[in-house]
Formats: sequence, structure tokens, C-alpha cells
Amino acid sequence: MDTILKVDDINVFYGSIHAIKGVSFEVKQGEIVTLIGANGAGKSTTLNTISGLLHSKTGGVTFMGEDLSKTPCHKVVSKGLALVPEGRRVFLQMTVQENLEMGAYIRGKVNPDDLEHVFQRFPRLKERRKQIAGTLSGGEQQMLAMGRALMSHPKLLMLDEPSMGLAPILVEQIFDIIQELHKDGTTILLVEQNARAALHIADRGYVLETGKIVTTGTGAELLDSPAIKKAYLGG
Amino acid sequence: MSFLTNLINGLSLGSVYAIIALGYTMVYGIAKMLNFAHGDVIMIGGYVCFVSVMSLGLGAIPSILLAIILCTLLGILVERLAYKPLRQAPSLAVLITAIGVSYFLQNAALLIWGSAGKVFPSLLDGIPSLQLFDGQLTVSGKALVNIVVCLITMTVLTLFTGKTRVGKAMRAVSEDKGAAQLMGINVDATISLTFAIGSGLAAVAGVLLCSTYPMLMPTTGSMPGIKAFTAAVFGGIGSIPGALLGGLLLGVLEIFCNAYISQELSNAIVFGVLIIVLLVRPTGLLGKPIREKV
Ligand SMILES: Nc1ncnc2c1ncn2[C@@H]1O[C@H](COP(=O)(O)OP(=O)(O)OP(=O)(O)O)[C@@H](O)[C@H]1O
Ligand SMILES: [Mg+2]
Repeated sequence: MDTILKVDDINVFYGSIHAIKGVSFEVKQGEIVTLIGANGAGKSTTLNTISGLLHSKTGGVTFMGEDLSKTPCHKVVSKGLALVPEGRRVFLQMTVQENLEMGAYIRGKVNPDDLEHVFQRFPRLKERRKQIAGTLSGGEQQMLAMGRALMSHPKLLMLDEPSMGLAPILVEQIFDIIQELHKDGTTILLVEQNARAALHIADRGYVLETGKIVTTGTGAELLDSPAIKKAYLGG
Repeated sequence: MSFLTNLINGLSLGSVYAIIALGYTMVYGIAKMLNFAHGDVIMIGGYVCFVSVMSLGLGAIPSILLAIILCTLLGILVERLAYKPLRQAPSLAVLITAIGVSYFLQNAALLIWGSAGKVFPSLLDGIPSLQLFDGQLTVSGKALVNIVVCLITMTVLTLFTGKTRVGKAMRAVSEDKGAAQLMGINVDATISLTFAIGSGLAAVAGVLLCSTYPMLMPTTGSMPGIKAFTAAVFGGIGSIPGALLGGLLLGVLEIFCNAYISQELSNAIVFGVLIIVLLVRPTGLLGKPIREKV
């Protein structure tokens, strides 16, 4: 399998805080890879650096063979890399449909088929297409954030805690959707607090601790590792 | 009929405030900064139009267009040179910079055109006035122009931000720059565009203002600038209909105070009303308090 994303020795700072310390990892075409780690380990910082919102002092990010270090953030999505950010960050004062249109911004005119495709995956959004996103429930907002990212036809979809704050039934639904997307050919980089569920669907995982990758392995290996069980899976 | 005459004068003045307020509101919405130099762009627009008519001998329409073009460029330039380097700086630093730019523009005008007032050429005198109620009520051509231009501007901008791809992108940037970038929207270009639109509108407002009050000085833009800023806050800063409503209400209030209460007190009353409105509704008349879901 080809490597689609390669993160090579990135070091990210917030002022004097050294948040990411020499992280390297890769994602291969067609995989689901998960990054797990405690609060503040640097998972979001890593995803934000890949998508160009933050910058690394060293090393670089290569996506489909292209070095992204010099690419401005707003050009990254057109390369085929989309991020569903932590906390959803849908445009609260815009309608559901307008949010989806923004997802297709780089494609110019919105393709009605793309819109229909997202509505098929998230029927709830279709009912509410004229509703202001700020009035959606948390779960609906998460669906909107995912649908919005899908509008750009990403080759690699990065999801930052898509199950945050959702009821168990919705969490299950979100994980099902992630697996469906994966079946349809999207490569996925998933950040989750819900380590058990993430490792279950992941081909491989990386464990991040205070800005460093400490362990890696297949999903099953990590699920079985006593150390991981103790630290992230609740014994 | 004097009541109606006053009302129309108020709407006419309020229309100019509304156009200026739009510039404040759009720039605030996108860049989250109060561009205190906005009023001075009005003044520059007035001077450009003045020079174009009096020294270059151009007609009214080309002169107005020239003012719009130069002010648009000035707006983009000011943003690029003064505000863009401060994109990550605390808002107080940006505010002080904006005040600095304001003084810079006033002093530049002082240097170029001197402190003596210039009498603005009467560009809009050719517009016929409108007689209503068998000639009992006259709406001057200038008032008509002010109101019509204001309504056209509002309609165009509302359609632009509501229906077009770039306009929607602008709203997206005003809500969340990071998320907008993730969508592939060029935030810097969007901010430049906003300053361009705001400054172009300031030029229009400058011409309208100077046609109604034909005395042009380097400080001409300050007071209308502050009033329009007030109007923008009054209506709900960040909101386009808010700018319209705030501007019109402020204009009418000011003219009524002048006519029925006292010329000296009118500013005090206008700002007093603003304070009361903000005490009751801190987000302004049409401003939306934003709630985030966690
Ligand atoms: N804007 C910021 N300014 C300063 N420090 C920050 C900022 N954002 C994050 N940090 C710090 O960087 C470190 C990594 O943060 P990050 O958000 O990447 O963690 P995370 O693994 O995503 O955590 P969580 O699971 O809670 O979302 C933390 O120590 C955090 O305090
Ligand atoms: Mg995080």
C-alpha cells in the first residue's frame, strides 16, 4: 500500500510551550489510523499542523508525495485533505445547506449530486437544510461538520473527536458512518478520547503522550496491550 | 407638514450614516476590529471628488467613480500596511493603530489641502426635487439621492452576502477564520475585499455628505464617522440590516432633536439614547447574541 500521509519529525510550539516533540508517523492509502492519548497529549495540535492551521519548526508533512510545509492552510483542502476540527466548528449563523456549500467552496459551484450524497448519509440534515446551524443539536452539528468535510471529496479525512459529547447511540452511529466512509475508499485519520471504539475500527494506532509518540501497533495489538488497557481503556 | 419635512431630512441624513455604518459593520464583522480611520476615508473621498471636479475639470459621475476607486485602493493599502501585520496582536494594539491611521489621514489632508474649508461643488443640484401632496411637501433631489443610494447599497450587499459564493465565504470568515481556512477560503483575500467594499462605500458616503453639507475640511469625516459607528452599534454591530436601522434612526433622532428640542443638546440626546438602548440590549437592536453548543 502507498503512503498517503507522512508526518516527519514535527515540533510545534505555542509561544514557549513545546506541544509536539518530534512526532513522526504515516498513514497508508485505505487505512483507518487512530491517534489516542490523554487530554493535552497533543492530538489536536498534530491534526491542526497537518492541515496547515499551525506550523512545525522542523521536519515536514508530505501528502501524496507533495511537501505541504510551504502550503498555506487554505490551499491544503484542495489537495484532498479535509479536517473535521475539534468542537465541530460549523458556521453557527449559516444554514445547514450554506455550511455544506462552504464545504464545497474549492469546487466552485456546488454539485447537487454531492449534496444529495451527503443527505443520503445524513438524512437528518436534509430535513433541516434551511435551519440555522446554531440551532441544531450537538449530534446534528457533528453530522453537519462531517458532511461539510465530505463535500470537498477528501482522499484523507481527519476527524478530531467526532464522538465528543454525544449519547452512546449517536457515538455508535458516528463510528458506523466512519466505517462506511472507509469502505467507500476514504482514508481516515481518527483522533478519539473513546480509545476502545477507535482501536476496534482502526488498522493501526499511535499513542501520544505529552507531545511524543510512545507506542504504536495494530488496533488489536494496542487493545491487548496491558499498558494501554491500564492507561486508556479503563483497566 | 414640517414634521414630514423633518422626517425626510432625518431619513436623508440617516441614509448617509447607514452607508458609513455599513463599512464599520462589515469590517468589524470580518476583522473583529473597529476601524476608526473609516471616517477619514470619507473625507479623502470628498477631497478626491473635489479635486477631480475643480482642478481636473471632470464631470460629476467620473469624479465620483474616481473617488470610489481611490478610496477602495486606500482601504486595501491601509489594511495591508497597518492592520495585517497586527492580525495576531491584542485588539487594543489594533485599536490604537486605527486611531493612528485616522490622525495620519487627517494630517495628510491638512498637508495637501490646508486647513481652510473648501466649498464642495454642487454635484447633485441637477437632480429634480419631488413634490408631494399637491406641492405642500418637497423632497429635495439630494435627499432622494441619499435615500435611494442607501437602499440600493443595502439591497446589493444583502444579496451579495446572502446569495453569492464569495459573499457566503465572507460570512464564514466573519464567524470562524480557522474553519473558513479549512474550507479552502483565503482569509487574507476576504479581509482585503471587505476593506475594499467598506472604503468604496465610504467614498460614496463622502460625496453624499459633502453634497448635503458642502464644507470640506480635514476633520470633515470625524463626527459623521463617530455617529455612524454609533449607528452601527445601535443597530447591532456586524449586522447589515442593523446598520440600516441604526443609521436611519440616528439620522431621524438627530434632525428631530435639532428641530424640536435644541441644536446644542442634539448630540448629547442622541448618544444618551444609544446608552439606554445598549443598557437594555447590549448587542444592539438587531445584533444576535451568539451561543455556542458544547
Ligand atoms: N492555543 C494554545 N495556546 C497555548 N497552549 C496550547 C494551545 N492549544 C493547546 N495548547 C497546549 O498544547 C498541548 C496539546 O494540546 P492539544 O489541544 O493538542 O491536546 P489534545 O491531545 O487534543 O487534548 P484533548 O484530548 O483534551 O483535546 C496542551 O498542553 C495544551 O495546553
Ligand atoms: Mg484535542
